[in-house]
Amino acid sequence: MQFSVVENCAERMRVQKKVLIVDDSPAQVKLIQGLLEPEGYWPVGLNDPKRVEEAIAMERPSVILLDVVMPDRNGFQVCRELKSSTEFNSIPVILVTSKDTASDRYWGQQQGADGYVTKPFTREELLRAVRRFA
Amino acid sequence: MRNTNVLILTDDVEFARLLTACWQVERQLPGICVVTSEFWKEADTSSQDLIVIGPLKDGKLADVLRSMEPNTALILCAPSEAKELGLLRKKYPKLLHVPLREDWTQVVLLLAGESLRRTEALKLARQAERHAAQYANQATLGRYMYDMKHNMNNALTSLLGNAELLLLEPGGLSAQSLAQIKTIHTMALRINEVMQRFSSLASELKEGETQSQVETEEVNSSPTPRR
Repeated sequence: MQFSVVENCAERMRVQKKVLIVDDSPAQVKLIQGLLEPEGYWPVGLNDPKRVEEAIAMERPSVILLDVVMPDRNGFQVCRELKSSTEFNSIPVILVTSKDTASDRYWGQQQGADGYVTKPFTREELLRAVRRFA
Repeated sequence: MRNTNVLILTDDVEFARLLTACWQVERQLPGICVVTSEFWKEADTSSQDLIVIGPLKDGKLADVLRSMEPNTALILCAPSEAKELGLLRKKYPKLLHVPLREDWTQVVLLLAGESLRRTEALKLARQAERHAAQYANQATLGRYMYDMKHNMNNALTSLLGNAELLLLEPGGLSAQSLAQIKTIHTMALRINEVMQRFSSLASELKEGETQSQVETEEVNSSPTPRR
Protein backbone atom coordinates (compact mmCIF):
# COMPACT_ATOMS: atom_id res chain seq x y z
CA MET A 1 0.00 0.00 0.00
CA GLN A 2 2.78 2.40 1.02
CA PHE A 3 4.69 1.45 -2.09
CA SER A 4 1.65 2.22 -4.20
CA VAL A 5 1.36 5.76 -2.73
CA VAL A 6 5.01 6.47 -3.56
CA GLU A 7 4.52 5.06 -7.04
CA ASN A 8 1.43 7.24 -7.58
CA CYS A 9 3.32 10.29 -6.42
CA ALA A 10 6.22 9.52 -8.77
CA GLU A 11 3.78 9.03 -11.65
CA ARG A 12 2.05 12.32 -10.85
CA MET A 13 5.40 14.12 -10.79
CA ARG A 14 6.29 12.65 -14.17
CA VAL A 15 3.03 13.73 -15.75
CA GLN A 16 2.21 16.96 -13.93
CA LYS A 17 4.35 20.09 -13.74
CA LYS A 18 4.62 21.49 -10.25
CA VAL A 19 3.87 25.21 -9.78
CA LEU A 20 4.82 26.90 -6.52
CA ILE A 21 2.41 29.73 -5.66
CA VAL A 22 3.78 32.23 -3.16
CA ASP A 23 1.16 34.68 -1.90
CA ASP A 24 0.39 35.89 1.62
CA SER A 25 -3.33 35.71 0.86
CA PRO A 26 -4.72 32.16 1.25
CA ALA A 27 -7.71 33.16 -0.90
CA GLN A 28 -5.44 34.12 -3.80
CA VAL A 29 -3.43 30.91 -3.45
CA LYS A 30 -6.61 28.85 -3.44
CA LEU A 31 -7.91 30.69 -6.48
CA ILE A 32 -4.73 30.17 -8.52
CA GLN A 33 -4.66 26.51 -7.49
CA GLY A 34 -8.24 26.21 -8.72
CA LEU A 35 -7.30 27.76 -12.07
CA LEU A 36 -4.18 25.62 -12.61
CA GLU A 37 -5.40 22.20 -11.48
CA PRO A 38 -7.94 21.64 -14.30
CA GLU A 39 -5.13 22.40 -16.77
CA GLY A 40 -3.06 19.47 -15.49
CA TYR A 41 -0.66 21.38 -13.26
CA TRP A 42 0.25 20.41 -9.70
CA PRO A 43 -0.03 23.66 -7.75
CA VAL A 44 1.58 23.95 -4.33
CA GLY A 45 0.70 26.97 -2.17
CA LEU A 46 2.91 28.89 0.24
CA ASN A 47 1.74 31.85 2.34
CA ASP A 48 5.03 32.67 4.05
CA PRO A 49 7.59 34.32 1.74
CA LYS A 50 10.39 33.69 4.24
CA ARG A 51 10.14 29.95 3.56
CA VAL A 52 10.43 30.08 -0.24
CA GLU A 53 13.86 28.44 -0.47
CA GLU A 54 12.76 25.68 1.91
CA ALA A 55 9.65 25.04 -0.20
CA ILE A 56 11.63 24.99 -3.45
CA ALA A 57 14.12 22.51 -2.00
CA MET A 58 11.27 20.27 -0.92
CA GLU A 59 8.91 20.60 -3.90
CA ARG A 60 11.30 21.22 -6.83
CA PRO A 61 8.74 23.24 -8.83
CA SER A 62 8.97 23.84 -12.59
CA VAL A 63 7.87 27.44 -12.18
CA ILE A 64 7.20 29.88 -9.32
CA LEU A 65 4.28 32.31 -9.21
CA LEU A 66 5.34 35.06 -6.84
CA ASP A 67 3.23 37.84 -5.35
CA VAL A 68 5.05 41.16 -4.77
CA VAL A 69 3.31 42.98 -1.92
CA MET A 70 3.86 40.68 1.06
CA PRO A 71 4.84 41.35 4.67
CA ASP A 72 8.40 40.71 5.94
CA ARG A 73 9.84 39.86 2.52
CA ASN A 74 8.45 41.30 -0.69
CA GLY A 75 8.36 39.52 -4.04
CA PHE A 76 11.05 41.71 -5.64
CA GLN A 77 13.37 40.81 -2.78
CA VAL A 78 12.57 37.09 -3.04
CA CYS A 79 13.07 37.13 -6.82
CA ARG A 80 16.40 38.98 -6.55
CA GLU A 81 17.67 36.50 -3.99
CA LEU A 82 16.53 33.43 -5.95
CA LYS A 83 18.13 34.72 -9.13
CA SER A 84 21.42 35.36 -7.41
CA SER A 85 21.48 31.85 -5.96
CA THR A 86 23.27 29.23 -8.06
CA GLU A 87 20.95 26.57 -6.64
CA PHE A 88 17.66 28.20 -7.61
CA ASN A 89 18.38 30.66 -10.43
CA SER A 90 17.32 28.26 -13.20
CA ILE A 91 13.70 28.08 -11.97
CA PRO A 92 11.49 30.54 -13.88
CA VAL A 93 9.84 33.17 -11.67
CA ILE A 94 6.61 34.87 -12.71
CA LEU A 95 5.64 37.90 -10.66
CA VAL A 96 1.87 37.98 -10.08
CA THR A 97 1.02 41.36 -8.64
CA SER A 98 -1.36 44.28 -8.41
CA LYS A 99 1.56 46.63 -9.08
CA ASP A 100 0.84 47.50 -12.67
CA THR A 101 2.88 50.56 -13.66
CA ALA A 102 5.63 50.50 -16.29
CA SER A 103 8.22 51.22 -13.61
CA ASP A 104 6.97 48.24 -11.55
CA ARG A 105 7.40 45.97 -14.59
CA TYR A 106 10.84 47.41 -15.27
CA TRP A 107 11.85 46.91 -11.65
CA GLY A 108 10.56 43.33 -11.79
CA GLN A 109 12.73 42.69 -14.85
CA GLN A 110 15.70 44.20 -13.06
CA GLN A 111 15.23 41.67 -10.27
CA GLY A 112 15.50 38.86 -12.84
CA ALA A 113 11.81 37.91 -13.14
CA ASP A 114 11.03 35.79 -16.21
CA GLY A 115 7.38 36.84 -16.46
CA TYR A 116 4.96 39.44 -15.14
CA VAL A 117 1.20 39.05 -14.65
CA THR A 118 -0.85 41.92 -13.24
CA LYS A 119 -3.81 41.46 -10.94
CA PRO A 120 -6.63 41.23 -11.71
CA PHE A 121 -5.81 38.67 -14.40
CA THR A 122 -8.06 36.49 -16.48
CA ARG A 123 -7.66 32.72 -16.45
CA GLU A 124 -6.22 32.90 -19.96
CA GLU A 125 -3.61 35.51 -19.03
CA LEU A 126 -2.40 33.41 -16.11
CA LEU A 127 -2.29 30.17 -18.11
CA ARG A 128 -0.47 31.86 -21.03
CA ALA A 129 2.25 33.05 -18.63
CA VAL A 130 2.62 29.62 -16.96
CA ARG A 131 2.64 27.71 -20.27
CA ARG A 132 5.68 29.68 -21.44
CA PHE A 133 7.73 27.87 -18.79
CA ALA A 134 5.91 24.65 -17.85
CA MET B 1 11.52 91.98 -13.91
CA ARG B 2 8.53 90.92 -15.91
CA ASN B 3 5.14 92.34 -14.93
CA THR B 4 6.49 94.82 -12.39
CA ASN B 5 5.11 98.33 -12.02
CA VAL B 6 6.69 101.51 -10.70
CA LEU B 7 4.89 104.70 -9.75
CA ILE B 8 6.87 107.96 -9.87
CA LEU B 9 5.26 110.54 -7.64
CA THR B 10 6.62 114.06 -8.03
CA ASP B 11 5.66 117.63 -8.74
CA ASP B 12 9.01 118.21 -10.47
CA VAL B 13 8.58 117.49 -14.21
CA GLU B 14 12.32 117.45 -14.80
CA PHE B 15 12.80 114.81 -12.08
CA ALA B 16 10.22 112.51 -13.69
CA ARG B 17 11.56 113.10 -17.20
CA LEU B 18 15.17 112.39 -16.24
CA LEU B 19 14.38 109.25 -14.25
CA THR B 20 12.11 107.82 -16.96
CA ALA B 21 14.72 108.55 -19.64
CA CYS B 22 17.42 106.78 -17.61
CA TRP B 23 15.13 103.78 -17.05
CA GLN B 24 14.34 103.49 -20.73
CA VAL B 25 17.96 102.75 -21.64
CA GLU B 26 18.02 99.83 -19.19
CA ARG B 27 17.49 96.31 -20.59
CA GLN B 28 14.59 95.56 -18.25
CA LEU B 29 11.98 98.27 -18.16
CA PRO B 30 9.13 98.04 -15.65
CA GLY B 31 5.71 99.54 -16.30
CA ILE B 32 6.10 103.22 -15.31
CA CYS B 33 3.34 105.60 -14.24
CA VAL B 34 3.98 109.23 -13.28
CA VAL B 35 1.61 111.25 -11.08
CA THR B 36 1.78 114.58 -9.28
CA SER B 37 0.75 115.07 -5.66
CA GLU B 38 -2.42 116.71 -6.94
CA PHE B 39 -3.65 113.45 -8.55
CA TRP B 40 -2.01 111.12 -6.07
CA LYS B 41 -5.21 110.03 -4.36
CA GLU B 42 -6.78 109.01 -7.68
CA ALA B 43 -3.81 106.81 -8.64
CA ASP B 44 -4.19 103.05 -8.20
CA THR B 45 -1.34 102.11 -5.89
CA SER B 46 -2.45 98.54 -5.23
CA SER B 47 -0.91 97.29 -8.48
CA GLN B 48 2.39 99.14 -7.93
CA ASP B 49 5.43 97.16 -6.81
CA LEU B 50 7.49 100.25 -6.02
CA ILE B 51 6.83 103.95 -5.49
CA VAL B 52 9.58 106.51 -6.16
CA ILE B 53 8.88 109.84 -4.52
CA GLY B 54 10.63 112.86 -5.97
CA PRO B 55 10.43 116.52 -4.99
CA LEU B 56 6.89 117.54 -3.97
CA LYS B 57 5.18 120.85 -3.24
CA ASP B 58 5.64 122.12 0.32
CA GLY B 59 3.75 120.13 2.93
CA LYS B 60 2.61 117.43 0.47
CA LEU B 61 5.13 114.77 1.53
CA ALA B 62 3.53 114.24 4.93
CA ASP B 63 0.04 113.89 3.34
CA VAL B 64 1.31 111.42 0.79
CA LEU B 65 3.15 109.26 3.28
CA ARG B 66 0.17 109.25 5.65
CA SER B 67 -2.07 107.79 2.96
CA MET B 68 0.33 104.93 2.12
CA GLU B 69 0.28 101.37 3.38
CA PRO B 70 3.19 100.84 5.80
CA ASN B 71 4.43 97.87 3.74
CA THR B 72 4.68 99.75 0.43
CA ALA B 73 8.18 99.62 -1.10
CA LEU B 74 9.30 103.25 -1.22
CA ILE B 75 12.31 105.18 -2.52
CA LEU B 76 12.36 108.76 -1.35
CA CYS B 77 14.58 111.12 -3.33
CA ALA B 78 15.03 114.14 -1.14
CA PRO B 79 17.81 116.28 0.33
CA SER B 80 19.31 114.80 3.50
CA GLU B 81 17.55 115.96 6.62
CA ALA B 82 18.68 113.36 9.08
CA LYS B 83 16.18 114.04 11.86
CA GLU B 84 13.04 113.94 9.70
CA LEU B 85 14.25 110.86 7.76
CA GLY B 86 14.94 109.00 10.97
CA LEU B 87 11.31 109.42 12.02
CA LEU B 88 10.01 108.42 8.60
CA ARG B 89 12.13 105.25 8.56
CA LYS B 90 10.65 104.18 11.86
CA LYS B 91 7.15 104.52 10.46
CA TYR B 92 7.91 103.06 7.01
CA PRO B 93 10.41 100.23 7.43
CA LYS B 94 10.66 99.72 3.66
CA LEU B 95 11.56 103.35 2.96
CA LEU B 96 14.85 103.86 1.16
CA HIS B 97 16.35 107.34 1.02
CA VAL B 98 18.39 108.61 -1.93
CA PRO B 99 19.98 112.03 -1.42
CA LEU B 100 19.58 114.30 -4.44
CA ARG B 101 23.22 114.43 -5.38
CA GLU B 102 24.85 114.33 -8.83
CA ASP B 103 24.49 110.53 -9.32
CA TRP B 104 20.99 110.14 -7.86
CA THR B 105 19.47 108.55 -11.01
CA GLN B 106 22.02 105.71 -10.98
CA VAL B 107 21.43 105.10 -7.29
CA VAL B 108 17.64 105.07 -7.77
CA LEU B 109 17.89 102.61 -10.68
CA LEU B 110 20.17 100.33 -8.69
CA LEU B 111 17.92 100.36 -5.63
CA ALA B 112 14.75 100.03 -7.72
CA GLY B 113 16.25 97.04 -9.58
CA GLU B 114 16.99 95.27 -6.31
CA SER B 115 13.61 96.16 -4.84
CA LEU B 116 11.74 94.89 -7.91
CA ARG B 117 13.78 91.68 -8.01
CA ARG B 118 12.88 91.13 -4.38
CA THR B 119 9.21 91.74 -5.14
CA GLU B 120 9.36 89.31 -8.04
CA ALA B 121 11.14 86.71 -5.92
CA LEU B 122 8.43 87.08 -3.27
CA LYS B 123 5.72 86.62 -5.91
CA LEU B 124 7.45 83.46 -7.15
CA ALA B 125 7.83 82.17 -3.60
CA ARG B 126 4.11 82.73 -2.91
CA GLN B 127 3.23 81.01 -6.19
CA ALA B 128 5.50 78.09 -5.28
CA GLU B 129 3.86 77.87 -1.85
CA ARG B 130 0.41 77.77 -3.45
CA HIS B 131 1.57 75.04 -5.85
CA ALA B 132 3.17 73.09 -3.01
CA ALA B 133 -0.07 73.20 -1.01
CA GLN B 134 -2.03 72.10 -4.06
CA TYR B 135 0.41 69.23 -4.76
CA ALA B 136 0.33 68.16 -1.11
CA ASN B 137 -3.44 67.71 -1.41
CA GLN B 138 -3.06 65.82 -4.66
CA ALA B 139 -0.32 63.66 -3.13
CA THR B 140 -2.61 62.69 -0.24
CA LEU B 141 -5.34 61.76 -2.68
CA GLY B 142 -2.81 59.91 -4.84
CA ARG B 143 -1.44 57.92 -1.92
CA TYR B 144 -4.95 56.97 -0.86
CA MET B 145 -5.86 55.92 -4.39
CA TYR B 146 -2.63 53.96 -4.71
CA ASP B 147 -3.27 52.04 -1.48
CA MET B 148 -6.87 51.40 -2.40
CA LYS B 149 -5.91 50.30 -5.90
CA HIS B 150 -3.77 47.48 -4.54
CA ASN B 151 -6.62 46.25 -2.33
CA MET B 152 -9.13 46.70 -5.11
CA ASN B 153 -6.99 44.73 -7.59
CA ASN B 154 -6.64 41.87 -5.13
CA ALA B 155 -10.39 41.82 -4.53
CA LEU B 156 -11.02 41.94 -8.27
CA THR B 157 -8.64 39.03 -8.82
CA SER B 158 -10.75 36.93 -6.47
CA LEU B 159 -14.00 38.07 -8.08
CA LEU B 160 -12.86 37.44 -11.63
CA GLY B 161 -11.01 34.23 -10.84
CA ASN B 162 -13.77 32.62 -8.83
CA ALA B 163 -16.37 33.60 -11.42
CA GLU B 164 -14.18 32.02 -14.10
CA LEU B 165 -13.75 28.89 -11.99
CA LEU B 166 -17.51 28.54 -11.64
CA LEU B 167 -17.98 29.14 -15.36
CA LEU B 168 -15.51 26.33 -16.12
CA GLU B 169 -18.12 23.81 -15.02
CA PRO B 170 -21.45 25.30 -16.05
CA GLY B 171 -23.17 21.90 -16.02
CA GLY B 172 -23.74 21.96 -12.27
CA LEU B 173 -25.41 25.39 -12.35
CA SER B 174 -28.98 26.40 -13.08
CA ALA B 175 -29.53 28.73 -16.02
CA GLN B 176 -30.33 31.56 -13.60
CA SER B 177 -27.14 31.01 -11.53
CA LEU B 178 -25.08 30.83 -14.70
CA ALA B 179 -26.49 34.15 -15.92
CA GLN B 180 -25.83 35.74 -12.51
CA ILE B 181 -22.22 34.53 -12.45
CA LYS B 182 -21.70 35.86 -15.97
CA THR B 183 -23.02 39.23 -14.78
CA ILE B 184 -20.60 39.20 -11.82
CA HIS B 185 -17.76 38.42 -14.22
CA THR B 186 -18.71 41.21 -16.64
CA MET B 187 -19.11 43.76 -13.84
CA ALA B 188 -15.73 42.80 -12.36
CA LEU B 189 -14.15 43.42 -15.77
CA ARG B 190 -15.87 46.81 -15.92
CA ILE B 191 -14.54 47.78 -12.48
CA ASN B 192 -11.11 46.76 -13.72
CA GLU B 193 -11.48 49.20 -16.65
CA VAL B 194 -12.38 51.98 -14.20
CA MET B 195 -9.27 51.19 -12.16
CA GLN B 196 -7.14 51.40 -15.30
CA ARG B 197 -8.54 54.90 -15.86
CA PHE B 198 -7.41 55.87 -12.37
CA SER B 199 -3.91 54.81 -13.41
CA SER B 200 -3.99 57.08 -16.45
CA LEU B 201 -5.29 59.91 -14.25
CA ALA B 202 -2.20 59.52 -12.05
CA SER B 203 0.00 59.82 -15.18
CA GLU B 204 -1.88 62.96 -16.27
CA LEU B 205 -1.36 64.56 -12.85
CA LYS B 206 2.34 63.76 -13.05
CA GLU B 207 2.53 65.34 -16.52
CA GLY B 208 0.83 68.49 -15.20
CA GLU B 209 3.32 68.69 -12.37
CA THR B 210 6.30 68.38 -14.76
CA GLN B 211 4.87 71.09 -17.02
CA SER B 212 4.42 73.46 -14.08
CA GLN B 213 7.99 72.79 -12.96
CA VAL B 214 9.29 73.62 -16.46
CA GLU B 215 7.35 76.92 -16.40
CA THR B 216 8.80 77.85 -13.01
CA GLU B 217 12.31 77.05 -14.23
CA GLU B 218 11.75 79.23 -17.32
CA VAL B 219 10.75 82.19 -15.12
CA ASN B 220 13.80 81.69 -12.90
CA SER B 221 16.23 81.47 -15.82
CA SER B 222 15.09 84.77 -17.45
CA PRO B 223 18.10 87.11 -18.10
CA THR B 224 19.16 89.42 -15.26
CA PRO B 225 19.15 93.16 -15.97
CA ARG B 226 22.30 94.95 -17.00
CA ARG B 227 24.02 96.94 -14.28
